Amino acid sequence: MSNFGRVIDKWQRERGPLRILSASGQLGYGIAEKAFRAGLERDLHLIGADMGSVDPGPYYLGSGKLATAYRTTKRDLKFCLTGALERKVPLIIGTAGTAGGNVHLEQTLAIVREIAREERLTFKLATISAEMPRDLIKAKARAGKIAPIGPIGTLTEQDVDAAACIVGQMGTEAFIRAIAEEPDVIIAGRACDTAIYASLPAKLGFPIGPALQMAKIIECASLCCEGGGRDAMLGTLEGESFILESMNPIRRATPMSVAAHGLYEQADPLSVAEPEGVLHLEDSKFEAVDERRCRVSGGRWVPTDRFSVKIEGATRVGARAIMVAGSTDPVFIEKSDEIAASVEAMVRELVPPKPERPYQMIFRFYGKGVVGMQPVTRLPEEVGVIVECIGEDEEEARAVAATAKQYLLHAPFPGRISTAGNLGFPFTPPELTAGDAYRFSIYHIMQVDELAPLFPVRIEQVGG
Amino acid sequence: MRLRDAARVIRSKNAGPTQVTIDLMFDDEKLYARALRAASLKPAVVAQRYGVAEAEVIPYPAANAIKIVIPRRVIAGSPGDTDVYGAQQHRPMLDVEI
Repeated sequence: MSNFGRVIDKWQRERGPLRILSASGQLGYGIAEKAFRAGLERDLHLIGADMGSVDPGPYYLGSGKLATAYRTTKRDLKFCLTGALERKVPLIIGTAGTAGGNVHLEQTLAIVREIAREERLTFKLATISAEMPRDLIKAKARAGKIAPIGPIGTLTEQDVDAAACIVGQMGTEAFIRAIAEEPDVIIAGRACDTAIYASLPAKLGFPIGPALQMAKIIECASLCCEGGGRDAMLGTLEGESFILESMNPIRRATPMSVAAHGLYEQADPLSVAEPEGVLHLEDSKFEAVDERRCRVSGGRWVPTDRFSVKIEGATRVGARAIMVAGSTDPVFIEKSDEIAASVEAMVRELVPPKPERPYQMIFRFYGKGVVGMQPVTRLPEEVGVIVECIGEDEEEARAVAATAKQYLLHAPFPGRISTAGNLGFPFTPPELTAGDAYRFSIYHIMQVDELAPLFPVRIEQVGG
Repeated sequence: MRLRDAARVIRSKNAGPTQVTIDLMFDDEKLYARALRAASLKPAVVAQRYGVAEAEVIPYPAANAIKIVIPRRVIAGSPGDTDVYGAQQHRPMLDVEI
């Protein structure tokens, strides 16, 4: 019997609370081993891990690359696979490969198969893909069924055609369909982090509100504890309430720390939109069980028959090169903006931009209000300098960065005292190519009639 | 009283790539109430401080906290961005008087 089948069977015989372990909120950055192993001893019904997010920016979705390093990704996947399979506990991993597109999912699966070979693991794997059909998106855009989330433009057909990759966030519906196939392991493309943890409870008939509320908290592992933390987190779902406990004994989930976590990375702390409805959190209650465990209740689920999927797309804007330096010269620091303008004019003369696709140059003088985009009240004693070029290709971008380096180093300006050079370079070469550059071109909500066709489930026997 | 002296946590982070959210958390219910009343934390004043068209200010009594949501001036990670995660946009709140 498969691990999902076994756990469902066991729960239907024994009933009682459901013990769900969140192994990591960012699989691939290094699971804290001790807490994870402590969690495995808790007679679990499910292990889950979230592997991605839009937070790291559009590069990963656009380029198809993972944000996490191969070796740390493999380490974490190995912990999860061996830990789950040895104890016959089902495993769900969501948003595979940082961005959850097909190429990210495939790279994750390649590592999973490699681990299976090396560790002689055999298991039934369900994968769920999350790339969106472009014809459907265009049809939905024409029908007015797609709305922007925050300040991003109305979606056009050109946006859809230009995007390197477009994914949609799956909800519990997709995972419940995969669980019905009775696999041992589910690995999904782009997914709501909540759905990873709430789908098994939903399948077993637990109330959805508290299940999703628990999922929303434990998906960040121990981050809801005082002072945060990335250790594995245990959620024990009792029905209308659940108990939170970090698997690191020094971490304390207190009513205040858990309540405060509700604010994290959310525009609205009182409601969470899912494809299948909305989770309302106005009536949440947080009570201490003891000094490091907290009981939470009150999550209220309002289902909808108008399904909606959050869609994300990234578009290539060119190739990026940067130049990194610093300056301590007070006159240079004071006049940096004018100097930058003169250098930019010089570079545009020496490296003529193509009229149909001019490159973009961005000067950043760190210390003069770059990070916060707010003016500073007094000038710093030194500044960090980054000159960035986004050009048509790597050769153009590097040519601009290298030329800008030379002319910024030697730019003359009124009042110049330090006539041998305006910049200090931390290394050589000071200009570096940074591959392709992307932007989020799609961050919209799409109304759909059916969810299942968007997130197909595929079954595979791994090993054996 | 400055916000940095009144609040235990003043932090910012993206809420998706198009918005930044700033959380103000207070240990003390009285300071929370005081901040909530402050003219300096009305949406229009906050928006002006960040140089954006509009801001939302949401009370969250469960954690003695106030959430502010503002539109990002550059979508996270697009050319010209300076803070992809939005984790360093808290500074304009530090010296706000409440």
